[in-house]
Amino acid sequence: MRTSSVIGAAALVFGVLSGVAAYESAAPRDNWKEIAWPFPRDGWPAGRAFRCSAASCGGDVEVYIRPKLGFCNCTSGVADDDEVDRVADVDLISERFVPIGAGEAVRVADMPGRVRPYHLKPGDGMHAAIGIAVSHRCDLLVVAAQGRGDVIQLRRAALEFLASAAPVQWIKSAMNTQ
Amino acid sequence: MKGGGKLALCVALSFLGCSSVDAQQQKVGAPPEASNMKLVGTNDLQARSAYQPTIHHQGDRWIAYIGHHGGTDEIPDPINPMTGKPEPNGTSIVDVTDPAHPKYLRHIPGQEGKYESGGAQMVRVCDGKDLPKGDRNAVYMLRTFGSEAHEIWNVADPANPALITRIGGLKDTHKSWWECDTGIAFLVSGAPDWRTRRMTQVYDLGDPAHPVKIRDFGLPGQEPGSTGAVPTELHGPISTGPGRNRVYFGYGTNKGGFLQIVDREKLLNGPKEPIAENLRYPEISRMPLSALNGAHTTFPMPGMPIAEFSHDKDGKTRDIVMIVDEAILNECGEARQMVWFADVTTETRPMMISSYTVPEASGSFCERGGRFGSHSSSESMAPVYYRKMAFIAFFNAGVRALDIRDPYHPKEVGYFIPSITSATDKRCVTVEGADRCKVAIQTNNVETDERGYIYAVDRANTGLHILELTGEARAVAGLP
Repeated sequence: MRTSSVIGAAALVFGVLSGVAAYESAAPRDNWKEIAWPFPRDGWPAGRAFRCSAASCGGDVEVYIRPKLGFCNCTSGVADDDEVDRVADVDLISERFVPIGAGEAVRVADMPGRVRPYHLKPGDGMHAAIGIAVSHRCDLLVVAAQGRGDVIQLRRAALEFLASAAPVQWIKSAMNTQ
Repeated sequence: MKGGGKLALCVALSFLGCSSVDAQQQKVGAPPEASNMKLVGTNDLQARSAYQPTIHHQGDRWIAYIGHHGGTDEIPDPINPMTGKPEPNGTSIVDVTDPAHPKYLRHIPGQEGKYESGGAQMVRVCDGKDLPKGDRNAVYMLRTFGSEAHEIWNVADPANPALITRIGGLKDTHKSWWECDTGIAFLVSGAPDWRTRRMTQVYDLGDPAHPVKIRDFGLPGQEPGSTGAVPTELHGPISTGPGRNRVYFGYGTNKGGFLQIVDREKLLNGPKEPIAENLRYPEISRMPLSALNGAHTTFPMPGMPIAEFSHDKDGKTRDIVMIVDEAILNECGEARQMVWFADVTTETRPMMISSYTVPEASGSFCERGGRFGSHSSSESMAPVYYRKMAFIAFFNAGVRALDIRDPYHPKEVGYFIPSITSATDKRCVTVEGADRCKVAIQTNNVETDERGYIYAVDRANTGLHILELTGEARAVAGLP
């Protein structure tokens, strides 16, 4: 094997390791605390979960984020609200969610997709939820969030968190979009 | 260990890893890998990514109809050498009467679009003389047209097909089933108002020129107007027809899959308004797979005599469904997708009894490039192989021949991994934001004909491989 190939392979190994390290070590904003992934194992590996206190976010807010690598709509992306209903992990919080209205286009970590607000049925966690699904080629990143405040407040808090440097860094690392 | 030592170790490990990869990488010009199977003939299918092959005995000819995925980023519309023009991938029609010398007859273009977003993936064929109200001289080919329609063509003259019918206005299509003796078709569709990408539209295509819709069908939670969690989407059904009165639906592709057993008569004649209660009415049972696996193909084999149980007072024969998952991600980027056998003799309590996968270490398949894992099985119910052998498309592990006479203990008796060619397309994974690509065979789908030939097609544009069994595998099938 040529020397350049060896060096290239070694660089690849280091690159992968550094990417993983970035994903693991990136710290979220101070008022957000990482919590254990609160859901049982399903078809996708566990994601990362964060909580923001009422004092910091105007109401308790929890955000659940995970990549879903392998998505069929490689060219059309997250094209409609039904797609958000299907993939955004809101069903992990409660299987009984009802959309409050139409979704909107959104970008998370430079990936396009949609965000949609939901109301959770009483007794199924908090009151309001949002689902976000964005895609990069044949991969998805999904975010579900729930909160005790109103859905506008929840959405603002979640999107601000997702736009902050640390989450963006590890989302890009996890999605291989760096 | 000091920093320099660590670096040396990493470089050494990388070297070893790369050597292993190099040893397993397929190379153009290298021979195929095979056991108890041999190549009879090939056709390049105009270097189009291939999905479903259906082989039809038509008069004194044998014709292969092969559905295609859409084009690639590099070549969205390959040139059809017969017309000299670029054409979106559609359906290839190949005369395989002499399997050693397949003759390409015609390409019918499909929907413009790349990969899963275009082409005409699915194809089924029925003779007009078998359909209740078909033209006795016609041969009908049912195909998908990308994501937007189903079409029926008269292919009595396979070199000059004629479009008969189009059922359009859809947001997706996929792996449909058509009963030739009744004309009933279970079309995998995306009805615009349903919450899922793929569900079932049941049609009476007994008179192909005049399709009659019977109903929409899916899982409660997928229907229009429902809220909450949306159940996983349909991949495809297989019906036993009115005789056994069952339809076996496979949901999920590579995750959260399950087998749904449905009473065909209740499905066709029960209440049809798409509300949850009516969708539940024809369902007999569901058998979930692990959340890590999906159901691409659900192939029924009712009434299998099990030699081991032959002296038992009860349960000598079993109703078996073979379930095949679909691998989605390249280079083992997901849980292993494989083959499962379910005993559905007691329909309300179906039970998984066995599984099969290609041993990864037998070919370092996770390092070869592209997908490794199962995708689909042969679906022919012709006596030559039915309930005796199954053929599984396993992407970079080629075609695998299974002895399934004892479905409690399926056993691989042969395999064939085709050679790559200059047409074989690369498959990439993203590492640190950049593509790293390899070229490997991606045997996608497989079918057999009544003569016993096996037809494997490649997703990575390598074409059609016509195979036959040899040695022990041939003996298992009872072939001379």
